[in-house]
Amino acid sequence: MDKYDVAIVGSGACGGWACMALAQSGFKVVVLEAGSHIDTYKEFKHRWPYEMQFRGAGQPGFLRKYFKGSTEYNYRIMIDDRENPYTTAPDKPFAWRRSRVLGGRTLHWSRASDRFSDFDFKAASRDGFGEDWPISYADIAPYYDRVERFIGVSAAPAKLPQFPDGVFLPAMPLNCAESIFQAACRKIDFPSTPRRVAQLTRMWHNRPPCHYCGNCVNGCDVGAMFNTVVSTLPPALKTGNVTLLCDSVVSHVLTDSEKRARGIRYIERYSNKEVEIGALVVVLAGSSLENTRLLLNSEPGGLANSSGVLGQYLMDQVSGSGVSGFLPILKNAAIRNDDGKAGGLYIPNFTNIGVRPKPAKFIRGYAMSATGGAMGIPAFAPSLPGFGSDYKKRVKSLYPSFARVWLSGGEMLARKENYVELDPQVRDKWGIPVLKIHCTHCDNDRRLYEDFFERAQELFRAAHGEISDAKPFLSTPGSLIHEVGTCRMGNDSKTSVLNSFCQTHDVKNLFVFGGGCFVTTGDKHPTLTMMALTARGCDQLIDMAHKGDI
Amino acid sequence: MRRKITRRDAGWLIAQAAGVAGGADFFAKWTQGAKHDVHQEHAMHSTAPPDPHDWRSYRPQFFSGDEYRILDAFSAILIPSDDTPGAREAHVTAFIDFVVKAAAEYAPEMQDRWRKALGWLAEQNFGSLSAAEQTSLVQQMAAPEQDNSKKHPGYGTYRLIKDMVVHAFYTSRVGLVDVLEYKGLAYLTEFPACTHPEHHQV
Repeated sequence: MDKYDVAIVGSGACGGWACMALAQSGFKVVVLEAGSHIDTYKEFKHRWPYEMQFRGAGQPGFLRKYFKGSTEYNYRIMIDDRENPYTTAPDKPFAWRRSRVLGGRTLHWSRASDRFSDFDFKAASRDGFGEDWPISYADIAPYYDRVERFIGVSAAPAKLPQFPDGVFLPAMPLNCAESIFQAACRKIDFPSTPRRVAQLTRMWHNRPPCHYCGNCVNGCDVGAMFNTVVSTLPPALKTGNVTLLCDSVVSHVLTDSEKRARGIRYIERYSNKEVEIGALVVVLAGSSLENTRLLLNSEPGGLANSSGVLGQYLMDQVSGSGVSGFLPILKNAAIRNDDGKAGGLYIPNFTNIGVRPKPAKFIRGYAMSATGGAMGIPAFAPSLPGFGSDYKKRVKSLYPSFARVWLSGGEMLARKENYVELDPQVRDKWGIPVLKIHCTHCDNDRRLYEDFFERAQELFRAAHGEISDAKPFLSTPGSLIHEVGTCRMGNDSKTSVLNSFCQTHDVKNLFVFGGGCFVTTGDKHPTLTMMALTARGCDQLIDMAHKGDI
Repeated sequence: MRRKITRRDAGWLIAQAAGVAGGADFFAKWTQGAKHDVHQEHAMHSTAPPDPHDWRSYRPQFFSGDEYRILDAFSAILIPSDDTPGAREAHVTAFIDFVVKAAAEYAPEMQDRWRKALGWLAEQNFGSLSAAEQTSLVQQMAAPEQDNSKKHPGYGTYRLIKDMVVHAFYTSRVGLVDVLEYKGLAYLTEFPACTHPEHHQV
């Protein structure tokens, strides 16, 4: 049996960071990735809709059936639902969007990189609902610095206590529609700042700056947006301490008689051969829910689950339809490159943090985003009434004036009733039990969404926009792809699975990185916080190893 | 304000280009992009490649000859060729035939909807109407779109065809690049900031 110092399961944002941090500290690391190793420089290129057989929509019915949530551009790096099913109760749908590929979802993520504040970490102390995190902003701030310094985040300081500033590369400028929305925000006293994105505005750690093609979520062809393959992996591999095992589907964390992790069992993706490897420390970083699934499958009742809360407190952030329409001042404007940075204007949360005198009808908060301009295919055109030459002229005239405001993420309350378990019947292609997901919105989630919808229209009106599409509906949980929780952190081992270093209370040499540890969703994008917690956990791991404590 | 590629950047890029597959190609395009002034908007059209599909010699695979001709006439009424190219130049009918044919495997109900829609138009003798009569029928079919108190038995057919024709047209090179003048998918050294004072106040 091969033996390593550390076995890391998964190669996404957190797995990649852990691999780099631990390999650079001299540990012999093995990374197990269930998906394949693709060459992003070869795989990703600018693709125009008309270059694809089905103009981006895929063969009719195909993606909807087997690759939910993906497009003809990117489905090859997404999960095939035939091999990797999951189940839900019939009346409780959950959208679980996954990738299995070296680099995971960093290859096609939206790059939004926000810091949580103590308004997020200590929300329970303010309003009495749920639990505080076991850390405060001061604990994690140095790790935010470290991650931002390495991955490169383009942003502008906003000087807002609820939305802490960090170590930033120059922000990407706003386009015309975003400038108008920013002026509107000033008028109605909404805070606003360019969306903070892990997308370079200058050369950074051997990676070139963005060239503003707008192709980000289909895969960056030059590595200007952060992903594991171009960013954390090269320096990790350079140490000579890393063994990369792709197409390796992990099924179990192995433990010894003293309740210590001793290694990993995985299944070779194509040969179905079972392989065991030994490791002094096991790190799970295969996404929030896959980590939990692995723990549940490793031991009856779940490994590291003396608390019984493993699988509970599942959250996705609240999302739903936004408001779209037109900014009349931009009608007939000369067409510009408006969608090349694929960014937008970000409106950080301003609800329930003491800056508005009127109390909201719900607890916690949400953030909005706004953008507009000539956004590729004119999505508004099919629903624009009419036909003929006049219709064509109207589409052209409205094209640069299109605008939308959307819900970046609202806090979904952490509730025990939202949970995952192993499905007793259904197994994946490799015979591993799949997750059964139970998740619904609560009244607070709905009220928060309704408030967003009012505010989004208020912003649109302040920008003198004409609203053409405003039909409120709450998205299926999971749709925002911010699924977190189910393996939460806390100081009390009776009510949490992990300590504040993402180390399991029960098994000292087992760490779980990713969103699983989240105690609340907050209203920010989650990835930067997952990475900062990974960096902090790795420091702890390294420190303990040096003291011979692990 | 606009940043040019510095000699240091260029040196780094050349080194990278040698090392990665497709790197040379990227380098060539990137530096070419850098030479353009981003405000010389038309220069950027050069980044839109030609349509790789040979629609001109496309033969219908799903629709019958009559159905195809009816759909082609209907599409040209929705998106006519006027001072800019229309559905015909964009080969919209060929693309729709290709998509509906491909629906057999995973979305056969899509084929049924199209058969029914074209059948309904055939019942109205759409193919033998004069151009003016065809336009007038499309107008009647479209009435509920502007005024939802109105009803028309052909509205479902109109909706199906319009949604697909509009999608097919604006995803084509003709619709997206020639007509809308979309400027994306470019290689720029700087994102073009809004510099209009009138957009910085409301």
